Amino acid sequence: MPEQSRRQFLQRLALRSDALSEKSDKTLVCIFLRGGADTLNMFIPYADDTYYKIRPTISIPHPSGKGSDASIRLDDFYSLHPKLAPILPIYKEGRMAVVQAVGTDNPTGSHFETQDQMEHGDGFKKTAGGGWLARYLRARFGNNLTPLSAVSIGPMLPESLRGAPGASAITTIDDIRIKAPCENPAVVAQALTSLYGADVGVLSIPGRDTLRLLTRVETLRTAEYKPANGANYPDSNFARGLREVARLIKSDVGLEVACVDLDGWDTHFVQGSVDGQQAALIETLGAGLAAFDADLASRRKQVTTLIITEFGRRTYENGSLGTDHGRGFAAMVIGDGLRGGQILGRYPGLNEAKWVLGPAGLDVIYDYRTVLSEVLTNKMALRDIGAVFPGFEPQKIGIVA
Amino acid sequence: MTSELSRREFLAISTLLGCALPLAGCSNLNGYVADSFGGGIPEKISVPDSPQIDPAFHLISRAGFGPWPGDVERINKQGAKAWIEEQLEPESIDDRLCDFRSKRFESVFLDPGTCYEFKREALRKDLCRYHLMRSVYSKRQLLESMVEFFSDHFNIYIEKGDCIYLKATDDRSVIRKNALGRFHDLVLASATSPAMLVYLDGKENKKEGPKGIPNENYARELLELHTLGVDGGYTQNDVYEAARCLTGWRLGSDSKRGTAFFDPNLHDDGEKIVLGKKIRAGGGEKDVAALVNIACNHPSTAKYIAKKLVSHFVSEEPPQALLNRVAKRYSETGGQIKPMIREILYSNEFKESAGSKMKRPFQYVVSCLRATGADTMAGDEVLEYLTRMGHGPFQYPTPDGYPTEANPWLGTLLWRWNFAFALCSNSIETAKVELADLCNAVGLEDLAGIKKSPATLFAYLAGRRPNAEESKAFKDYLSQRNFEDEKVRDELVGLILSSPAFQKV
Repeated sequence: MPEQSRRQFLQRLALRSDALSEKSDKTLVCIFLRGGADTLNMFIPYADDTYYKIRPTISIPHPSGKGSDASIRLDDFYSLHPKLAPILPIYKEGRMAVVQAVGTDNPTGSHFETQDQMEHGDGFKKTAGGGWLARYLRARFGNNLTPLSAVSIGPMLPESLRGAPGASAITTIDDIRIKAPCENPAVVAQALTSLYGADVGVLSIPGRDTLRLLTRVETLRTAEYKPANGANYPDSNFARGLREVARLIKSDVGLEVACVDLDGWDTHFVQGSVDGQQAALIETLGAGLAAFDADLASRRKQVTTLIITEFGRRTYENGSLGTDHGRGFAAMVIGDGLRGGQILGRYPGLNEAKWVLGPAGLDVIYDYRTVLSEVLTNKMALRDIGAVFPGFEPQKIGIVA
Repeated sequence: MTSELSRREFLAISTLLGCALPLAGCSNLNGYVADSFGGGIPEKISVPDSPQIDPAFHLISRAGFGPWPGDVERINKQGAKAWIEEQLEPESIDDRLCDFRSKRFESVFLDPGTCYEFKREALRKDLCRYHLMRSVYSKRQLLESMVEFFSDHFNIYIEKGDCIYLKATDDRSVIRKNALGRFHDLVLASATSPAMLVYLDGKENKKEGPKGIPNENYARELLELHTLGVDGGYTQNDVYEAARCLTGWRLGSDSKRGTAFFDPNLHDDGEKIVLGKKIRAGGGEKDVAALVNIACNHPSTAKYIAKKLVSHFVSEEPPQALLNRVAKRYSETGGQIKPMIREILYSNEFKESAGSKMKRPFQYVVSCLRATGADTMAGDEVLEYLTRMGHGPFQYPTPDGYPTEANPWLGTLLWRWNFAFALCSNSIETAKVELADLCNAVGLEDLAGIKKSPATLFAYLAGRRPNAEESKAFKDYLSQRNFEDEKVRDELVGLILSSPAFQKV
């Protein structure tokens, strides 16, 4: 067999994957705040006196207060955590919508059960099979997927992409290549293509997908990335992940779905208020989102960002100055054409009477799948929502204008 | 087993290592020690010659981290049964060679109070390197495998709070001490382990005033993850009652820093009802033992632990008949771990499952190092690969421990390939291989021999002969490489370690 040039090999691989679309006109970025984020301290119901009464040490100060500790007034009822100031312009421009009292019907209070249920897009004990983003990709695109259609930032694929036809977990695109000992690594890639192609088990598809991804990334790797509009990504894994996502979006490699996690919201103990444990995470979130938004100003029609968590926390603080697992939370959506600049959804109250009896949280008024359905149907132009959430009847929130 | 070391030789080398280890270049010394005691690559290794995975290869791949050069022959000679029984009595296995290699990680042997005098970074490195070193070099492979299993089951994330100062003690006196003991003891030790009290906020769980609100974090995970399982039949009220039982455990300060104690004034000493069983008022610090007994004796716990063990050793979809037998062993022995392992390793279900699971990154890296007989100090570069693949020891943030199924790890293939190639080309600073010696041992004396018979190398590494498609892939590959260059040998071994066959177990 004659020596095969790298270029020939790459071309052959590229040809094999028939429908490699260079552009995707819509990209959904899903940010999961893992651990159960206390959104009551992010979008503060300052006009409800009970909030201050049952959170004596961890509440965020009233917006009427002076100084940098005061929360930022959004309307007559809600204010914003001061560490979320970087996203205030996005909110004011009407490109960010917040939905109050979102959650699951899962009563276990378990992080893992609830995260799994949400990432699978299931109802409690009702399994639809695989991840909701995987089903979306199948329902939306048929077999028209590229190896970079779905990317998760981090070492592992999230459950939401379980069963996705082609999904890749990456940390940064810079070092996505085979580092073989001899010259011409294409020979090694070719051998791996044969070996994984012949495998009859679960490794065959991820093996071949990985090899195809390598050829796509080859071209991106050579250019250094400069964020647009002076976007300043802070020094955090979260922001670095968003930066890689922005880079892929602007490179038109066919990115349809991206997943980024921000961990650490399980604040049972000394949660903090304007500063402290949770405030540090809020700052990371706000600064990262602001940089991402600035960097992608030219892609606003294309990109929708969804920010969810598995559950909110108890409405009251516990004996160790933290909050235990609750139920409802505030979901965030950033994008064009939203009914933005407001907190949508009914405020369920803090249920002071209930909490003495034990496990409680903000009541869930809107099933989380309603939020996902409205985003998929109205922003991602998905026709058959039933293929993603079979048997689910979405309520009506009206996130998209 | 290698020949017994004489006590005098042992002491001589021990002294030598004690003086020289803090110096640079110790990896060579390690190699020297290994060679001196027959821990290196044997001169001759026979290679499996069947299209099916060799049963001894399968056994040590599942009950441990895969064979060290010569292990498969050794097990076949000794007999699988004798090997299993020996592994179940780890104290009977001379492991001094591994002890030598891992003794330099001094902080893992210290009490929490002393650990507070170290920097976090130093403690993190010692812990992770120690864990990796023992997995690679210990002859007590089953014990190390169970240590990994229970480190996930009772997961502790060392970056949370002060966990890093306390995990070494947890590793010694909770996990290693009980990994082959009784499950109840393991749970009880874990419940008041300082590292666990920090990780799941147990130290903050106290009765506070008449309207006291306990911190439920640990109680919930105790029932959901450590004992009954999420579908085990407990209620939210059971979580609440369990949390009440656990109020009052604190960590000391000053000279008692990092040690657990019980403060009766912070304990809710009223009556509790957990899982329908009454715990009488006034139990004080004995409430925790009563609670652990109720949870561990619950039939759901037998089923849940059986399921986790069978999933670990046999299949992601555990056969029901085997599950029933293992759960029965648990119940009839009051939670003894060894009878459960015996039931599994001697079962037909185990034997028939060869090659059907996927290695997690940690097992992949360790099995690569073992298969190549690598000389490693498990330094930063090796750990970096694990971190990149999302499987650094004790680095999993949430209490469910690293996922055990294949799916979440399918995105790590590229990093596995690059680890294999880096290892085989000796470009990892703290892990060196002698592939010429290894090839020699399997009867491939030069590059021409390797070119002629890549199947021999494959069979050594994968435990079986390659199939037709695999043979063709290697033949095509070799036809495009120049065999004057020794790097081709390195690349070929790396390619075999990268192949689907070596990802499986």
